[in-house]
Amino acid sequence: MDDSTAAEPVSLALTVNGRPCTVRIDPAATLVEVLRDELHLTGTKVGCDRGACSACTVWLDGEVVASCMTFALDARGKSVTTIEGLAQGDRLHPVQQAFVEHDAMQCGFCTPGMVMSCAHLVERNPDCTLDDVRGAIGGHLCRCGAYPNIFKATLAAATTLRQRKQGDSA
Amino acid sequence: MNTVQWIDARSVEEAVALLSAPAANGTIAKAGGLDVLDLMKEGIVTPARIVNLQRIDALRGVQFSDASGLRLGALTTLAEIANDASIRRHYPALAAAAVHAATPQVRNAATIGGNLLQRPRCWYFRNELFHAARNEIGREQAQYGAIFDNATSTMVHASTPVTALVAYDARVHVVGKQGKSRTIALSDFLLPPDFDRDRDTTLAGDEVLTHVSVPPVAAQTTAAYHKQTERDSYDWPICDVAVVLTTGDRKVDAAKIVVGAVAPVPRRMTASEKLLLGREIDEQLAAEAGRLAVRDATPTAKNSYKVPVLEAVIRRTIMAAIR
Amino acid sequence: MSASEDPREGRTILTGIVGDALQSATRSIPAGEPPELPPNSELRVIGKRVNRVDAVPKVTGQARYTFDVQLPGMLYGRIVSSTVPHARIKSIDTSAAQAHPGVRAVHILDRIVGIAQLRDPAAEANERYPLVRYHGQPIAAVAATSMRAAKAAAKLVKIEYERLPHVTSLEAAMQQDAPVVFPGPTEQAATAGGGGAAPGLPQEGNLRGPARGGLGGGPRGDVQQGFAQAERLLTREYRTQVQTHTPMETHGLVADWRDDELTLYASTQFVLSVRDEAADIFQLPKEKIRVISEFTGGGFGAKFGIGNYGSLAIHLSRKARAPVRVVLDRREEHVSVGNRPSSIQRVKLGAQRDGTLTALQVESYGTGGVAAGAGVGFCQSTMYPIPNLLTEHYDVFTDAGPCAAFRAPGQVQGIFALEQALDELAVELDVDPLALREKIDTNDTDDARARRVERRIGAERAGWSQRRPPAADPGPVKRGLGMAQSQWAYIVHGTTTCEVRIRGDGSVAAITGAQDIGTGTRTIMAQTVAEELGLQTEDVEARIGDSRYPAGPAAGGSRVTSSITPAARNAAYAAARDLAARVAPALEAKAEEIVFQDGRVFARGRPERGLTFKEAVRQASFDEIVQRADRREDYDGYRAKLGDLHISKQGIGGVQFAQIAVDTETGVVKVERIVAVHDCGRPINPKLIESQIYGGVIQGVSYALYEERHLDPGTGVQLNANIDQYKIVGSRETPDIDVHIIEQLGRQSSTDARGVAEPANVATAAAIANAFYNATGKRIRTLPMTPANVLAALRAADAADDEEPA
Repeated sequence: MDDSTAAEPVSLALTVNGRPCTVRIDPAATLVEVLRDELHLTGTKVGCDRGACSACTVWLDGEVVASCMTFALDARGKSVTTIEGLAQGDRLHPVQQAFVEHDAMQCGFCTPGMVMSCAHLVERNPDCTLDDVRGAIGGHLCRCGAYPNIFKATLAAATTLRQRKQGDSA
Repeated sequence: MNTVQWIDARSVEEAVALLSAPAANGTIAKAGGLDVLDLMKEGIVTPARIVNLQRIDALRGVQFSDASGLRLGALTTLAEIANDASIRRHYPALAAAAVHAATPQVRNAATIGGNLLQRPRCWYFRNELFHAARNEIGREQAQYGAIFDNATSTMVHASTPVTALVAYDARVHVVGKQGKSRTIALSDFLLPPDFDRDRDTTLAGDEVLTHVSVPPVAAQTTAAYHKQTERDSYDWPICDVAVVLTTGDRKVDAAKIVVGAVAPVPRRMTASEKLLLGREIDEQLAAEAGRLAVRDATPTAKNSYKVPVLEAVIRRTIMAAIR
Repeated sequence: MSASEDPREGRTILTGIVGDALQSATRSIPAGEPPELPPNSELRVIGKRVNRVDAVPKVTGQARYTFDVQLPGMLYGRIVSSTVPHARIKSIDTSAAQAHPGVRAVHILDRIVGIAQLRDPAAEANERYPLVRYHGQPIAAVAATSMRAAKAAAKLVKIEYERLPHVTSLEAAMQQDAPVVFPGPTEQAATAGGGGAAPGLPQEGNLRGPARGGLGGGPRGDVQQGFAQAERLLTREYRTQVQTHTPMETHGLVADWRDDELTLYASTQFVLSVRDEAADIFQLPKEKIRVISEFTGGGFGAKFGIGNYGSLAIHLSRKARAPVRVVLDRREEHVSVGNRPSSIQRVKLGAQRDGTLTALQVESYGTGGVAAGAGVGFCQSTMYPIPNLLTEHYDVFTDAGPCAAFRAPGQVQGIFALEQALDELAVELDVDPLALREKIDTNDTDDARARRVERRIGAERAGWSQRRPPAADPGPVKRGLGMAQSQWAYIVHGTTTCEVRIRGDGSVAAITGAQDIGTGTRTIMAQTVAEELGLQTEDVEARIGDSRYPAGPAAGGSRVTSSITPAARNAAYAAARDLAARVAPALEAKAEEIVFQDGRVFARGRPERGLTFKEAVRQASFDEIVQRADRREDYDGYRAKLGDLHISKQGIGGVQFAQIAVDTETGVVKVERIVAVHDCGRPINPKLIESQIYGGVIQGVSYALYEERHLDPGTGVQLNANIDQYKIVGSRETPDIDVHIIEQLGRQSSTDARGVAEPANVATAAAIANAFYNATGKRIRTLPMTPANVLAALRAADAADDEEPA
């Protein structure tokens, strides 16, 4: 019979959270499928599976992407950072810490993606404004409506990062 | 979503060869891959083979010179367009259109080539069911559809950067078999979206879009772009408007007014353009241009609201362009 | 034991609103209740802005949702749904799917849950398969070793339909000659989350009703007489749309069928409803089913029971003898597992010149698709003391996915009409809308008392005194300010038990079989226990999410905090007294002198001689103290008991003010600021309460401005069953939200805590609509306020057909 779904697996080598790894995947697999189903990194969520809610946000070579709309093979040789790779051991990223303190979550399902976008923003632009935060998460959906606290948390984290940088340069 | 064979093309020539091979039936070319993935997930395309263009360096890069204008490699991402200093300076309407497209995540991956070639976002088109049961499409439900040129279809082209590019007289460069290249005005390249075609452009199945070029703008040219949406966060347009004006001694020497999401393809509002020529723009004249633009609209039952919205947005964008 | 049977004692307590009017009163309280808590300002942990205890797992991706459950050998289930809106299934051929590589099981559903059921099942008893009544109705499912294989195989299931005529719109379904969705009268049971419809109502064609009255009681007085007494009559029609819940985590269940036990991992608002529905459908003893729900990615009312998807997962697991995961995709989520019904509400309101209401009549129609329960709430009856009242509601069946309880079911629609009608009345009478409420909002209930304070605070914060006359802005963008009141029932879940354990090492756990949909259940439970034991929140491990734990409440109806915290406090109180008796000798004190405070244990008045909590436990030397307490009945009893859903005579609510800008050329409405002043009894954790109010307001804005399910009339297909075209408030539409919470000590339980989730989104749409009038001088009586609806409202001649009183 015509077995159109039996995958002819291909090899994919990439770096995930600093660790090189190689997996055999279906060529049509998306990045999020590989992260969750092959590498069991289930912190990255899927909300819409069409790039419209951004719950699946990860960093690909340092840029935010929707991992549900990224062919896994487009990540070949690249470096992926997921929510599991953001904290340094027990030391939370300033955005994670600020999310905790400002209660920037409710059900928490959109939170990993939100954190990845907000952390990307503050690292890129520690002088970010409220409007920048709104823009950075303009493609994210939080159905519980945690936005006001996400704004506060991200701006607070940016302040922390600025202070750290001043401390470093002093 | 069935599984596929994946082939990396290393050059434009190789890509063309892969796309034109006798076994090329069921082959699809991908750049950023967003629209291909979406269509695959919806069951609208079921390619047997994906030709990946991402590794062709010749398709990359943004180049600008005062003399020759702008060249955008097909793999240029929307984020690169939005952030490029020369584009922001010389083609602000294009930069604004890129800034307001999709989400930050999508802009980082979506290429200008893929953006121009994406299929319509019509909610009938994006549902597998209506590809099988074409006769069941409920035209009257098209509240986001065309209010012009909609006698046969209300589907509109999904790209918003295209509205600005048409206003800047962009041209599209494609390469086909035996290295045969074509250059087409973008406005001629785009076709009204159609269920029965594989693409909504004049690109042939065995051609590769290599780059987009935009001529230099004349001195004393100003421009503005506005995408009118229901929401400010990621949203599709009710309409979008690009206005490019060249003025001398405060009077308009040349005008381009292009509107998107209100006709199957971006539509130049020539009567409104003509109205502006030789005159000094003020609110009243801009309002008159807006009125003139929508005079011939033929909205459907559910999208007549788009007519006054477009009228206002044209007026506002003209005013923004002279500021 | 019920409250009435308990021995009682009289206590003199302080009751009322802190900072406003606390007064001394004597209450009859069941004996043995812990001493009443003082106002929050005198407490150490309760009432404090404590961080969510499970925030770290959520921000690090470690929190495990049902979506994330991966078991050894787990199969992936994919549902086969109907591709027609109304049909008889003639045949189903699963052979190709069965034969597909990787497929381990295929199952065809023989029973559909969550929809209206024929009162007389005989009418369809001979059908081989359940009739298809909406596009996207689940029919069968496939389990395979990968999702890709399951999807491919699902497409191979061949279904032959005999099409039947269908109808998808409310108005079309109301026509005499409309296709009929159900061949006979139906009944609709409620879920643990609410919903359901009054039993035994007449049904003609697609119209089921009228239902008169409801939660707030039946008709009262004589409306004709009331209208005759009126000096002003207002007749208006309001319309609301179908909204879908759209939780970020779609519905899902992982079923692991073993010979001796069925384990279910569920994204749910109530683990026990999952257990009970599975026990019912699969004829299993409840103790053989274990339900686990560590984290639930939102629910909003739609996640109760196992649903058809869960039933399929269990069937497939039983057949395949392997765990099976069935998680809906976004389209299935929009279409098949619930929505807020639409409404058409014809409101007739009679009043005297001074604002006194003489009569209210509401005739309403709503469609919840193939489910009944599309009523418009109870506000008409419970909010204002209107002497003459008649509400008549009809459910209208359509070939569309079933409705489900959705954050303040019915009340959101009802308040949109009622609170806008009152605003219209205020304009007619030329009185300030707040002054009108002051005149008529006079019920002898805690929520009415709270609203009086909330109006005052809200008016000040919103700058009400600077409110301008309608349409004051000359330009195309017009700004306005409006207000509306919110009310919801104060609900207690009858069967709630909490267990507190103090272990020999000094660690403390609080355990109940609740679940958390994002409100912070673990946190408020830990805070309550910590307060009683003189500890910090993080010293108490809160364990929930397992049906094997002592029964917890449903996370629906804003009843978790009101149910859990008194049980948790009473259990902690008993544990503390137990520990006190054991440690008293070491402190040379009597047990009743022992106090727990700031991590220390000491005799009252002698803190210097105390021990740390851990030392005290060590000296008392025991393995474990285990104390359980049930949620006792409210001290003053209830207005009604519907199973475990106990409804207080008191309500909860708030007052919201909206400041908006209307672009009258594009029809785009921007909500700039919302002031939300709310009561929830004693606030246990203002940080979490603020989060919930933010969420309620944002959902209210979203409902008012954007959300709408679009069905294709020709096919019954939902056209916008995704996230980009089903539009929801995003970051850029989030208004500035100013939340103020009042502290009301109702003295009905040992914590005085009440819910807040639902009242937070009840008033928002009405407040925005009233602001729209203030901005533009035009009324918008149709939701959502999309450019199309806004421009139509602005164009409309104001054609309200006010009758002059006879």
